[in-house]
Amino acid sequence: MKIVSCFSSLDEIKPLAKAGADELYCAVPGLPSFGEPALLTGAGGLKAAVRAAHALGLKISLAVNSLGEASFTRPGEGRLLRRLAAADAAGVDAFIVASPAILGLLLALKRRRARLHLSSVQPCFSSLSAAFFLDLGISRIILPNQLAPYEARKIVELCRRRGAELEIFDHRFFGCAYINGRCHLHRPDYYTLNASVQNGSMCRLNISAGALQTPGAIDVDAAWKPRLGPIVRRLSSRLACGGAPRIANMAAFFEFFAAGVGYLKYGTRQDPGAVKVRKVREVRAMLDAAETVLGKYPRAEAQRRFMEKMQNWDGRKY
Amino acid sequence: MKTEQGIRLGSLSLSRLERTPRLRRLLDRFDWVYTGAEFCENLLETGMAADAARLQAKGKKVCLVTPLLSEKGIESLASIFAGLMKLHRDGRLDPARFEVTVNDFGALELAAREKLPFKLNLGRQLYYNAFLVTRDSIEVLNRRSLDFFALRGITRYELAPTGLLPRTNFGDKAFGFDPKAFSLTLYYPYLNLTTTRTCLVGMPYIPPEEAVRGIKCRRECRACAFKVAHPWIKEKLFIRGNTVFMEFPEKFYSSQKELAARRIDRLVYCPFP
Repeated sequence: MKIVSCFSSLDEIKPLAKAGADELYCAVPGLPSFGEPALLTGAGGLKAAVRAAHALGLKISLAVNSLGEASFTRPGEGRLLRRLAAADAAGVDAFIVASPAILGLLLALKRRRARLHLSSVQPCFSSLSAAFFLDLGISRIILPNQLAPYEARKIVELCRRRGAELEIFDHRFFGCAYINGRCHLHRPDYYTLNASVQNGSMCRLNISAGALQTPGAIDVDAAWKPRLGPIVRRLSSRLACGGAPRIANMAAFFEFFAAGVGYLKYGTRQDPGAVKVRKVREVRAMLDAAETVLGKYPRAEAQRRFMEKMQNWDGRKY
Repeated sequence: MKTEQGIRLGSLSLSRLERTPRLRRLLDRFDWVYTGAEFCENLLETGMAADAARLQAKGKKVCLVTPLLSEKGIESLASIFAGLMKLHRDGRLDPARFEVTVNDFGALELAAREKLPFKLNLGRQLYYNAFLVTRDSIEVLNRRSLDFFALRGITRYELAPTGLLPRTNFGDKAFGFDPKAFSLTLYYPYLNLTTTRTCLVGMPYIPPEEAVRGIKCRRECRACAFKVAHPWIKEKLFIRGNTVFMEFPEKFYSSQKELAARRIDRLVYCPFP
């Protein structure tokens, strides 16, 4: 399994490579990418970044995975196509794409060298969805965090058969129970904020369940009334303290690792450089731990030893 | 362009509907019945095919709305599609009065593989591939997205309004698309904000040492919906199962002409989130 790390400044490349990154990815101004800006800065821009990454033996992908910002007129389409062509000519190894329109533009690029990766912003939850995008020319699928390894087994099998690659996120540094690319909870697109977003975020209130008003039940089915109490308490607790259950966890990572998924991503572009390096070291350490036990013990024993080793990992320092 | 009226029943079964006088009365007022499971594959049932035929026999047009799909959901939907195809072959389901809304590219792929003879629509969890909806506007992103979906037989897109009559860019020739090439369905008054696979209401806690094999569902979402006060948000939120909604009960238009100018020719009332 290889590590794919985000970066947002040229001077982050070398330290990230040293920390253990095998591939890098970034976003640049002028090409629509998903999420918080944290676009590439530094003299020379993308060309310099590609040169620096390739000199260290690292591949580099470019995120062009916005959906809502993939808005363009006919003239704008021409400009976008030229910018994509320039990025391809600069030597990026892959484009990370979500929008069918941007995918169409990339497929229209003559003599395109870069490969095409499907972003988790266009989440793929089944082998049929995977097949749909593989048929369009996608060569790597970045799986959403809300898919269990067992559920992904047909996707893994399909990708193996078709020579496509798979990537997952390091759950410790990314992930939300709400489905990426379909969520309007994180931005006030439709609601009105009446307080600043405090520590945590819209989906992780991090307040005590008692500080939240009890959810009011509407249109209750009479047959369910006797069972409503525990449901209300569970909902209150989840809304206050961390949200819906998370499928992506340490055990899920190990199962994806053992299944042969090729790439593990760390992707918080807005982290300061030093934090990025520390996190990539953590990703490397976890991978090393998994590789060590799987190389030494039968599968079930390897997983048990891996879980034992990782159980004291403390995420609060991040 | 006449505005058709629909009612969304969600995964409420026809037999349960027939036991509910309020909903039975509501049904009489609508041209279309939207059934199925829009947000959760665990609510898909094979019987939805037969329900569609029975609703058509009662004179209704029917749209089966389908959710995001893992392999489990693909299997369930494949079974429903098989049922629909049989009903169609037996002459009991009129394709001119039946549509399927997809919210997953796997569903689109399945429909193509099965050569489904029914009109397909793009649902509320995929419309963002072609449209940008803000508080006061609905805009086509670009002509390529519309062409992409038109090539796959999709020219109807499903959205939710935000209580304001939206501005559009449908007359802007710089985008190069034909506004007559698509139609819009608006669901009201609930707008879906976000969805999880692991149900907020149900699904037991997952310990870090457990790699689940799938979503354990006890269909506790059937108990009720919930109204929730988020401490940072002015408006109330509504939660049903795995999806969080906002409510926009205000009537946002005053005439069919206003809707027609915005390519909106179908409104779907949701009696509950």
